[in-house]
Amino acid sequence: MSDLLRAPAEIKYAEELDWLESIDTNPKPFSWRLSPKMVRLFILGSEPSDGLDREIPRKWFGDRSFVERAIVTLASDRGLLLIGDPGTGKSWLAELLAAAICRNSTLVVQGTAGTTEDHIKYSWNVSMVIAKGQSRESMIPSPIMTAMETGAIGRFEELTRATSDVQDALISILSEKYISVPELESSGSDNIVFAKPGFSIIATANSRDRGVNDLSSALKRRFNFVRIPVVTNKKSEAEIVRFRTEELLRRHAIDLEVPPTLLDVLLQSFADLRASAAAAGSDDEKLESALSTAEQIGVLEDAVLHSNFFGERTLTARTLASSLVGSLARREPEDLAILNKYLHGVVEPRSKEEGGHWTEFLEGGRDAIATLS
Amino acid sequence: MNGVNVVNGTHAMSKTTGTHDSTFSALREQLQRAAAAFAGGPDALEEILLGMVDDVDRAVHEPLEIFPVCHHSPASALAMARRLREKQPKVVYLELCEDMAPLLTELRNCRLPVAVQAFAGDVDGFPREWAPLSVVAPVTEASAEYQAIAYALDTPGVELVLVDRSADHVFQWDLRDGRTARKADGAPDASADKAPEAEAALHGEAVGVEIGDLRPRFAELEKHLLRHGKVRHWSEWWHQYVEVPLGTGDHDTYRQVMFLIGSLFRRLAPGDVGRLRVDEDRERYMWTRIREHLTATGTDPEDCLYVCGAFHAVSRVEEFGLHGTTGTFRIPPRTGTTWQYGLIPSSHAAIEAQFGLAPGSVSIAATEWAKALRRTGVQPYRLTGQAGAKKPSAKKSPAPKPRGGQAAVPAQEPPAGDRLSGFLRRPPVLDALDEAELLGWSVDIVRAARRNGYLASTADAIAVFETSILLAGMRDRVKPTPYDFQDAAVTCIEKDTVPGRRDVRRLVEIMMGGDRVGQVGYEALPPLARDVYDRLAPLGLKLQQRTVQRALLDMASRPELRACSDVLWLLRRLMPHGAARPIMGERRLGERSIQESWDLALGKHQRALIELGYEGVSLEQVLEQRLRREAYGPQATVATVLAAVEDALLYLDNHRLADELGTHALKVLATERSVDGAPEVLRRIRGLLTYYRTNEPALPSWIESFSKTGYAHYCTLLPVAFRDEDATVGQVAAMLGFLFSMEGLALSLGCDRAQLELAVAQSHPEDPSKTALLWAAQVQLGTLSRAELRSRCDALLDNPLVVPAYPRYLSGFVHALEPVPGLADMVVEAVSNAFGRLPDAVLLPWLPLLITTLRSSAAELAPLLIREAGRLFPGRLADLDAWVPPWRMPRTPPAARRTRPAEHGRRGVALLPAHPATCDAVAELLGCPQGWTQADIPSPSGAGLLAAHPATCDAVADLLGCDDPWAASGSSPSGAALTARHPATAKALAALLART
Repeated sequence: MSDLLRAPAEIKYAEELDWLESIDTNPKPFSWRLSPKMVRLFILGSEPSDGLDREIPRKWFGDRSFVERAIVTLASDRGLLLIGDPGTGKSWLAELLAAAICRNSTLVVQGTAGTTEDHIKYSWNVSMVIAKGQSRESMIPSPIMTAMETGAIGRFEELTRATSDVQDALISILSEKYISVPELESSGSDNIVFAKPGFSIIATANSRDRGVNDLSSALKRRFNFVRIPVVTNKKSEAEIVRFRTEELLRRHAIDLEVPPTLLDVLLQSFADLRASAAAAGSDDEKLESALSTAEQIGVLEDAVLHSNFFGERTLTARTLASSLVGSLARREPEDLAILNKYLHGVVEPRSKEEGGHWTEFLEGGRDAIATLS
Repeated sequence: MNGVNVVNGTHAMSKTTGTHDSTFSALREQLQRAAAAFAGGPDALEEILLGMVDDVDRAVHEPLEIFPVCHHSPASALAMARRLREKQPKVVYLELCEDMAPLLTELRNCRLPVAVQAFAGDVDGFPREWAPLSVVAPVTEASAEYQAIAYALDTPGVELVLVDRSADHVFQWDLRDGRTARKADGAPDASADKAPEAEAALHGEAVGVEIGDLRPRFAELEKHLLRHGKVRHWSEWWHQYVEVPLGTGDHDTYRQVMFLIGSLFRRLAPGDVGRLRVDEDRERYMWTRIREHLTATGTDPEDCLYVCGAFHAVSRVEEFGLHGTTGTFRIPPRTGTTWQYGLIPSSHAAIEAQFGLAPGSVSIAATEWAKALRRTGVQPYRLTGQAGAKKPSAKKSPAPKPRGGQAAVPAQEPPAGDRLSGFLRRPPVLDALDEAELLGWSVDIVRAARRNGYLASTADAIAVFETSILLAGMRDRVKPTPYDFQDAAVTCIEKDTVPGRRDVRRLVEIMMGGDRVGQVGYEALPPLARDVYDRLAPLGLKLQQRTVQRALLDMASRPELRACSDVLWLLRRLMPHGAARPIMGERRLGERSIQESWDLALGKHQRALIELGYEGVSLEQVLEQRLRREAYGPQATVATVLAAVEDALLYLDNHRLADELGTHALKVLATERSVDGAPEVLRRIRGLLTYYRTNEPALPSWIESFSKTGYAHYCTLLPVAFRDEDATVGQVAAMLGFLFSMEGLALSLGCDRAQLELAVAQSHPEDPSKTALLWAAQVQLGTLSRAELRSRCDALLDNPLVVPAYPRYLSGFVHALEPVPGLADMVVEAVSNAFGRLPDAVLLPWLPLLITTLRSSAAELAPLLIREAGRLFPGRLADLDAWVPPWRMPRTPPAARRTRPAEHGRRGVALLPAHPATCDAVAELLGCPQGWTQADIPSPSGAGLLAAHPATCDAVADLLGCDDPWAASGSSPSGAALTARHPATAKALAALLART
């Protein structure tokens, strides 16, 4: 495990999944490795009242009903489309679901402007075709096709980034559940790849991309939409940030403690910036960043890495502030102006009132802005 | 049994455990063992567990039957209906504000849900800022209290006694506990993040009271229960773990379980101290009242039923029970506040919002209630004539069994045995899957979604059906609850956007019974509201409906509608915005339209109309009161008093009131020292004057005195206002406007103009705009000529040091149009000069200011200015090149002007001899008898002159170099010799003389 920079969920939690599978007595749909209740337990973590012998940590922080709806969708005939702002944990939830259901979360197609139908269906190994002609051996199946063949969950990231004709290739896959290969002879069933039970698709879409490549209504019909909202609950956001940061620190093998008060400063500053973005009239008055939870984690990670390698090996509010400014200032005059306004309008009075980390935070932010502008 | 001593507080109770061993001993032992197993010995857990059993025990054995209820619980309502049919009690004690009792019978005239309201507009004994006080108790059909009310009111010989504290005490105890204004009794609103909808705001700012508020009072417990119940909110938990299991239970099980839940919440977390104190006082209050009633009427407690929330049913106050301590609690007297009572429309959404219930939960409860009735066949009670409901039950329902035939009810029911142990040990009751019902829901939601713009199809119905079952399975239940179904529908139908006004979640809520908005029936309305409906009857509209109704009033063809129009204008003045909105037609002093059209939403604003009814018996009375209050209030200014006068004339046509208020305005004017309201005063008094002059034979005396006093008042204040930095130029202009426009009237009444002249002379403003205003005033008074004013303006423009301030002078001039409208041409000139001569650096920044000033503060002056500009400037573009502004025209000297007629005269003289006939005719007409003078006879005209003016002649002679003396005046023609000698000179002279 340690030789992987980032292990997929099924490897990372392999032991936990094995254990859950061993105790799972509930009925399982199709070829699922875990029953829906166990999938929920795996993702949302266990509680003492579940009566388990060991504790299952929570891996995704969000409303229970979202997870339930997602699991139930996968057990039904339709694909699952997770939609939400960037950084709300859609891909992470998709990975966890795929890992728990079929122990394979790597059958992923990344939707981009350059994604073609071949990426969704199949392509040919040209040299093999020259040598042996078109056959199943010389065919390169796409991750989705592999998922169909194995009865696993295929994932399609950023569905709305792919062009409409590519998206529509999914329609027949989701309704007929097979892919025909017209290049192969029609003898036998060689020219049709049928999906095995258990196959389904989890797609993610970014709600900020709406209008780039809108889904056709035919495709929409074949997906159940689950909208993942931005976490605004401070408590659960703190949990997410703590959880992800610990994971990152472990990955980087950094031994550095994040003081809870500093975490509060970070959460509060994001909450303030979100409030100001919500009140802003035009795009120029709000930061370009979506101010998602992932962004917070990014800021914290940046600050941690900075203080680990360049600082005194302790995280300070000053580093946090400069990393906050560095991460959020994307447009030269506008974003810097907003951050400057925030520092002077909100942080300064607060530092006078509460002092503590806020004073240091203010100084760090000022320095960072001065450097950038 | 009856002598159980269970009222000595917690400690005492744990000692009473031995009393009812027979009933709950098994359970008690089991709990003791459990406590020992989990906590390892007697401690708090054991005390709580056993205490709960004690509580249940005590409540069950109370000789006065206590019926614990929970609000909006169909199970409670069902159990209540059953119990009432079975027991047929003679007296029902109900936990509801005792002062609301007289209103309950009016419920039959309403369509539920409605709320019983206690309202106090004026407070006495409470902080003033709390006013108006309002308490509402909403009543829905699917509630136990409605069952009790309907039973008690419609069964002969049954008495309904409300025993809870009065509305007055609700606030009294808030005051006592130092709480400030409260909004609701319930827990913090679960849907606080949602924008409140109109239906949710039906209760307004009222404080809600409700029977059977049963909810964990500390957040952790509720969270814990929700988490373990795998449900999202409290209503769902309650539905799944209490409603469903209790739906089929018998009376004793129901009671014991409710007692247990009440006790659990009470023992685990009684809530904050203040709240608990109020609760305990209420319990003392209720028991005191019950005992008083029993003593007074001598009713047998066996024939009574006490309906209260489960929380209060297990109270541990000493006064609890028939044999509780007496004399320790004294019911405090009410304050001096006068309370009004009425019914106001309520809605499910309003109840949910007020008591912090999940959106849709009350609607779902209503649906469940209807279903439970069908399933169990229980005959519910319902007030006869209850409006807005299906009527089958009324016909079919057998008359309540006569009291004589109560064989079914043994007079002395033995206390029931332990039903708790069985209930607690039983596995969760699972409702069987009702496939047909779920299918029906799935099809319905798809249809509803399609109607609302979703691309939903039969495939979606199938998916919703399947997903509901899968979701319910994940949540450990066989039958999907409405909440599971809602989740499933959202999952399958909701896509990235909501196409219509409502999303799928809301559609499900609507489908599950939807929000129901109650309506207060005509008979239950206060006299004022009934009066309004009566008076608007000629319109022929269904005003009770909640939709907006369009009323068309053609007063020319139907003069009887004039009265309706009066009412509508009154409603517009008194009701909140939107209740009555004129689309066409207006009403101003002395003007009324002959045709009007209105948008009326009285049904929607029924609460406001009813609350208006608390203020008086007719709209006119309410308005009169309000006008008096406004005029005599401590904050009243002259402007507000005059506004009240205007309203009295406009809406009430009440000259007596107008005169009274006008006389009061005089008093207020005498005490007013600021000029803030001057523009408003001027506008109002002008309007009133115009009205009185055109409509009345004589001006009322108050307005004459007002003019006189106002003239003197503003004269006195003028010099101060000119100097005062706080007085704006608009205010000073309005003062001048008052003075100049009232001048005629005031002088005729004996004012002295010198007063005004002195006041203007004493004014020395520093502000440029006020200076300009002063100049304008001086022009009006004649102390400054227009030429002087013009030269002053020119001087300002010529002086580079003053130029930047020129726009402010202009602003003063613009305001001066108000008092001195005749100065419009000067103002146009000044503005034009500004445009022509001001440097851009001054002009450009000032332009926006000019526009905004004209728009905002001088909107009525702009037309005057524009008209004058239109007169002065050329109308066509082509003319502009050749146009010279009138003020730039070279001023021709008066002498030059006088020569012109002379020339013309000569020309005329030539005409006269040319047309003698005309001339004769004119002469004859003018009576001029002389004939024509002989013009052709050469008279020595020049010679005569020479003789008459010898000096001139000498001088001329000297000039001409003629030294001959004057010839002797004889027969010889003196001049002739000369002319003969100097013919050239003679000719020149002749020419000269001829010209003169």
